[in-house]
Amino acid sequence: MAEPCSPVSATVPHNPISIPTPEGSTLEMDPMEYTLRKRLPRKLPKRRNDVYINMKTDFKAQLARCQKLLDAHREICIHGLGLAINRAINIALQLQTSSQGALQLSANTSTVELIDDLDPEDPDEAGEPLTRTRNNSAIHIKVFYPS
Amino acid sequence: MFVPSRELHHDNTPKCTTSVSHVQHPELNVTNPPGSTNKPKQNGFRKICSTGEPSPCPIPGLGSGVLEMRVKEGSKIRNLLGFALSRLQADGHESATSHVLFSGMGRAMTKTITCAEIMKRKVQGLHQVSKLQYKTVTELWESLESGQSVQMTIHRTVPSICILLSKEPLNPLEPGYQPPVEKVALSKEENEGDGSQESGNPEKRLYSPYSHEVLPSIKRAALGQDSFPTKKKVKKL
Repeated sequence: MAEPCSPVSATVPHNPISIPTPEGSTLEMDPMEYTLRKRLPRKLPKRRNDVYINMKTDFKAQLARCQKLLDAHREICIHGLGLAINRAINIALQLQTSSQGALQLSANTSTVELIDDLDPEDPDEAGEPLTRTRNNSAIHIKVFYPS
Repeated sequence: MFVPSRELHHDNTPKCTTSVSHVQHPELNVTNPPGSTNKPKQNGFRKICSTGEPSPCPIPGLGSGVLEMRVKEGSKIRNLLGFALSRLQADGHESATSHVLFSGMGRAMTKTITCAEIMKRKVQGLHQVSKLQYKTVTELWESLESGQSVQMTIHRTVPSICILLSKEPLNPLEPGYQPPVEKVALSKEENEGDGSQESGNPEKRLYSPYSHEVLPSIKRAALGQDSFPTKKKVKKL
């Protein structure tokens, strides 16, 4: 299987790039151009009633999908990462509203580690590929009919 | 009549009800879709004030000694956390508190969650309850066009999140409860200094001192070789 890479690719500008490390100091990088490629987030286990919200699919389509799954399973789990947190919360609240309050929400938050690859632009310059880790927030909302 | 645009529907205002209070020019209501933007529009309407309805705290059984942090879109995380941490860690001091409530609405929800997550990492053993709800915001818009003051009131429903972090145990049966994370591998300080250790991928150099232990599991997950338990949540994230 090919290594999952998001299609997002941007050039990290100019030299030298200093990366703030968790300790607060900075690391100087070689004066070279890199392509920043964001890897896809680590996949969580997926059951039939798990929904991962993204920002690319149409909002209404995702809402309809959630509603359909909810009718079938009586309980779904909506996940949202980063910018999609807003949408995940919005979908969960809309489901609750359209059920006239019959649904209950149980939200949990977490932190997800994401990895970025830094590939050198020019292969002749013999730069090493680098990786960088960063954190992003995520939300997991259980939407269910209380028994 | 005003139909919420597609973008509006996707954004923070799934429902937008409009009521015009003192309209001298009823046709303005048609030409000016209210709530579509919060910047002054070309036809002269500008937002005067917006008041959030004082909704009751969604978390039951909350005393008065709770430090409430209202997270806004432009709030700086270091300011919020600096203040909250100093109050939470002021042991014995009169300003000390054991409960912190982060609340944010609309686009500040992501920041609210990030604040709570960083807080949980900095202070070990915090119990958490998260609540989601719609909040109603009343906005007053005014136009001074044509010499007369035209006002209208707009009610918007905006999603919001409240996260309570507590040093003391909370009711585990409450929906949205999360127990404190036990000592998982998040103590990054312990991993410092062993950056010379190679991960499974020798040609990759890792800049973050704690990232090397994550990489193999990511790779495995990417190759579909990881057999996760089919639990609802993965504990170590």
